[in-house]
Amino acid sequence: MPTTLEPTEVMEPDLDDDVAVDRPWVVLVWNDPVNLMSYVTYVFQKLFGYSLEKATELMLDVHEKGRAVVASCGREEAEMHVFRLHEHSLWATMEHDGPAS
Amino acid sequence: MVLRRKFLAPVEAVDGGWRINLDTEERNLLMRLMGELRALLTGPDDNELLRRLFPVAYPDDDEKEEEYQRLMREELVASRLGAIESVTRTVDPANAKALLDEGDTIAFMQSINAIRLVLGSMLGITDDDSADAADAADTPEHHLYDFLSWLLEWTVRSLSPT
Repeated sequence: MPTTLEPTEVMEPDLDDDVAVDRPWVVLVWNDPVNLMSYVTYVFQKLFGYSLEKATELMLDVHEKGRAVVASCGREEAEMHVFRLHEHSLWATMEHDGPAS
Repeated sequence: MVLRRKFLAPVEAVDGGWRINLDTEERNLLMRLMGELRALLTGPDDNELLRRLFPVAYPDDDEKEEEYQRLMREELVASRLGAIESVTRTVDPANAKALLDEGDTIAFMQSINAIRLVLGSMLGITDDDSADAADAADTPEHHLYDFLSWLLEWTVRSLSPT
């Protein structure tokens, strides 16, 4: 146990590295007032196989909270999801899931 | 035309596929819009109107973003152009009697939405307030936007599992 409050040097793993597989990537969809609620719900069902109930819940999160996590997976799969969401003109981004979230 | 719409959806699922119930004038309008969208997609790629069609994938990582766009942007352009080609065929008044398959109907949905996004940018719709203001506005562009929203709503409904 450290006996002082001196900052300790720690080796930070390179979190950008693909070998950091413990934390998945999350795919986020952000609110765009142009996109119709029914359309967003349909795209979530179609691309992710979500039930109407689950897709509606995610759509409402996007609409009311400004964004929702629609998938959590490996980087390649996340990029594929982002691409397919972009094909449907949804505002999708991806990021490394943080330890706090 | 207005009365007819009360009884006939503009896009409907029927036995063996999907049918577009639009008149020649409406079909020609969509053909023209598809041409404009194609011109936009094959023009300069820094056009501000394209921003919503090519969102950033990695907002927090410039390096990964650059790599992603290098690999995927061309593919996304090709995908959008493929959808436009499909719509140009299926809305052609000469093909008014032909049914669409699911892929054609999805291409129709994607392309109508892409035009709505471009129009939304032209009309300055960026948040819920400007969206409400646009709903209340009364210009030809706003009417076009409303027409496309109406069309999209019915297309989604026709594709949604019942």
